[in-house]
Amino acid sequence: MAMNEIHLRIENVHKTFGKTKALDSVSLDIARGSFTTFLGPSGCGKTTLLRMIAGFYEVEHGNLYMGDRLINDVPSHLRNAVMVFQDYALFPHMTIRENITYGLRIQKMTREDIEKRLQKTIGYLGIEALLDRTPGQISGGQQQRVALARALVMEPEILLLDEPLSNLDAKLRINIRAELRQLQRRLKITTIYVTHDQAEALSLSDRIAVMNEGKIVQYGSPFEIYYRPRNTFVASFVGIVNLMKGKVASSSSRTILVSVGGEPVLVVPADKEAERTYKPGDDITLCVRPETIRLESALRGQGNGENVFRGRVVNSIFEGSSVRYWIESLGMEFIVDIFDPGNEELNNKDVSFRINPERIHILPT
Amino acid sequence: MKRIAKEPFLAVVMLFIISCLFLFVIYPIVRVFLYPSGKELITVLSHPRYIKAIFNSLFMVVLSTSSSAFVGFVFAYTIARTDVPLRKYFKLISLLPLFSPPFMVAFSYIMMFGKNGIITAKLLGLSVNIFGWHGLWLAQTIAFFPIAALMMEGVLQSIPPSLEYAGRNLGATGFTLFKTITFPLARPGVAGAALLVSIQVLADFGNPIMISGDFSVVATEAWMRIEGWADVSGAAILSLVLLVPSFSIFLFQRLWVGKKSYVTITGKSTQIDIRRIGSFMRWFLFAFCSVFSLLILLVYLALFMGAFVNGWGFDWTPTLRYVREIFSRSTEVTNSLVFSLLAGGGSALFSMVAAYLVSRKKFFLRRFVDFTCILPTALPGIFLGIGYSIAFTRPPVDLHGTAAIIILSLMFWNIAMGYQTGIGAFQQISPSFHEAASNLGASSMRIFKEIEIPLIKGPFFSAFIVSFIRAITTLSVIVFLATSKNVVATFSIMNLVSDGFYGKAAALTCSLLIIAFLVLGIAKLALGKRFELFKV
Repeated sequence: MAMNEIHLRIENVHKTFGKTKALDSVSLDIARGSFTTFLGPSGCGKTTLLRMIAGFYEVEHGNLYMGDRLINDVPSHLRNAVMVFQDYALFPHMTIRENITYGLRIQKMTREDIEKRLQKTIGYLGIEALLDRTPGQISGGQQQRVALARALVMEPEILLLDEPLSNLDAKLRINIRAELRQLQRRLKITTIYVTHDQAEALSLSDRIAVMNEGKIVQYGSPFEIYYRPRNTFVASFVGIVNLMKGKVASSSSRTILVSVGGEPVLVVPADKEAERTYKPGDDITLCVRPETIRLESALRGQGNGENVFRGRVVNSIFEGSSVRYWIESLGMEFIVDIFDPGNEELNNKDVSFRINPERIHILPT
Repeated sequence: MKRIAKEPFLAVVMLFIISCLFLFVIYPIVRVFLYPSGKELITVLSHPRYIKAIFNSLFMVVLSTSSSAFVGFVFAYTIARTDVPLRKYFKLISLLPLFSPPFMVAFSYIMMFGKNGIITAKLLGLSVNIFGWHGLWLAQTIAFFPIAALMMEGVLQSIPPSLEYAGRNLGATGFTLFKTITFPLARPGVAGAALLVSIQVLADFGNPIMISGDFSVVATEAWMRIEGWADVSGAAILSLVLLVPSFSIFLFQRLWVGKKSYVTITGKSTQIDIRRIGSFMRWFLFAFCSVFSLLILLVYLALFMGAFVNGWGFDWTPTLRYVREIFSRSTEVTNSLVFSLLAGGGSALFSMVAAYLVSRKKFFLRRFVDFTCILPTALPGIFLGIGYSIAFTRPPVDLHGTAAIIILSLMFWNIAMGYQTGIGAFQQISPSFHEAASNLGASSMRIFKEIEIPLIKGPFFSAFIVSFIRAITTLSVIVFLATSKNVVATFSIMNLVSDGFYGKAAALTCSLLIIAFLVLGIAKLALGKRFELFKV
């Protein structure tokens, strides 16, 4: 994958609907052949941005480039950015075949060429048997594939997907998710995906742009988004997180000691410059993922410099592959996921747990 | 049945509703069917005069429905899907005729374009004969395209915007998009709207009685039968001739077109971002809508002028005498107002209770109630009027010349609108409110009073207003029932126009318009957004 070449450049784009600011100076570079996800809560502007790329909304301010070409005023169908809609938007008055070939027929392509393209596309998606039915006669999962076929048959430069899986049931969603990623890797189409589902974003994307209130809050790989969120919004929107508020007690060349609820917590930051950034007395927020915390086999004290703390289990739920505990400690409530737990009932018992100092992320202030 | 026995009040209400429907909807219909003998039927139907009327009616249905549907669709498309300037005003103007007496258009065009018309004779110096099929065509087009536009706008708006976006995204622009996506999707709804308009054209009595001259249609011939020859059988037969196609179209529309409409498959939708259309198309639509909006405004202009002019066509001196006459001897206006208020209120109340029972209760004859409440939509006003005249103006029930017969006929003629609005409203109110209340121990009556009534206040008042306006503006229903004792304004207007007293007729029409728009304005102020005008 030529991940370096910029395929789509979004430059300082704004959009307002009436008085609401839907997009507020958004800038983003999207690499050719990459799978990029716009992730955020509803109303964050992700769909607006996607629709603007598709050419449904005019760019009020700022620029959109495809390669070197400025596309602000290029109409939707000349951008070769084809969209799969959340509600699929299959034309109910046409058969599946007519739906898929619609765009090609508009282009007045010859019958043979249309057939060739059609066969190639439906081969990817396994919908050969559906061609003569109408959208009302096929299931949700099949409609989804047909919508994807209708976009892919256009051989788009950029494929735009607007929450395409949100109308499917959970199991189907996971299957199609995997298929979609495989297909995208095979066809190497630059793909932009919009979702509010963080699990979907993490599992599908090369890059994720987390959005909130019309702005891009963070743009990075799924790993970065998950383990190195830039602020509390990203940290708590993507996955479950324990946020610990504390004061820097001391900092040395490789470690920082933070006082949380009166106890010292050792942090080994990934950022080597951390020592210079954080000075004793600074207020900081630490971010720990539930699955990076371990329960100790024996009850131990705390304050031993090994990041082992004591607390009381106040609640727990069994989730199959793991058990989630709520543990009161350091003046807050930790969420801890334990995989492969023992049989022991821990509710209302005191436990010791260890936080790996290298897995603690310091939120930039 | 056991549950009903436990709630005697509910049982009484059901019994009341069912009996009323039998007595005031079914019974008059049956009486019309049974009144003429077979011999009379053959005589009338083979008479060349009536064969001609039937042919004329069909001709007008095809002509006026096509033109109304076409103009209506252009309006609807302009309003819903383009950025044509002033489109909001086009919509506003096109709504006006919905709250005006249907015959008003014909009356006004006589004053405007007739032999003594202010435009044709006075301004242009032409001698035009507007009486005939062409005048009728114009009047019906203007009178009925607004309802077509309203329905079709609803149809266009129910097309999920993502379908048009998808079409654009795949390369369809301008007319191609319209031809391949927008129009095919709207077609079933447009056809449905056209069919509903055709029922109205067929049943139209007010416009032809005023403007069609020697060109007779079935509705006017039925009136002549009674007025001229006191031949009730003949009138009954002719009104049956109207009922049969009207009822068939109604059934066809409900059973076939209703099912054919495309429903959104899934998902939420966003408002479509209206695109600039080509400038040729834009100005064409603008000019088109302007012309028809002007034709509507002229209707009102002529009426208001007519009310203040001494002798239309020959003596243009301004006068207030017609207005004064209305205030001094205003039996008709008072009657119209009182009868319509009662009929509108009764109709709204009756239809809401019926809608409640049908949507919330299981009972014997439930489907009968459902069907009979919608049935009046399919009944031409003329037919219902003759039905009431046969059923209730002679023993055992003689209501001849009473207020009651007018009020009852108007009330039951209008239950369909309110009933459908009510059914829609009850469908939106989740039955779980009902279940929750009943789970907490509330009786049916209590649930209705404390849960449902507060939620259907809006639909109730909408039904009341629509019924009231239809009642005060109708002519066809009451034309066989009005006498000098229970005369209403529309009846007087018809007589005044046919005798050539345009000034007083115009003043009376204006007073009706003022009442209708006042009531509408009050309702709009009082109810705001909850006020839904027409459930289509």
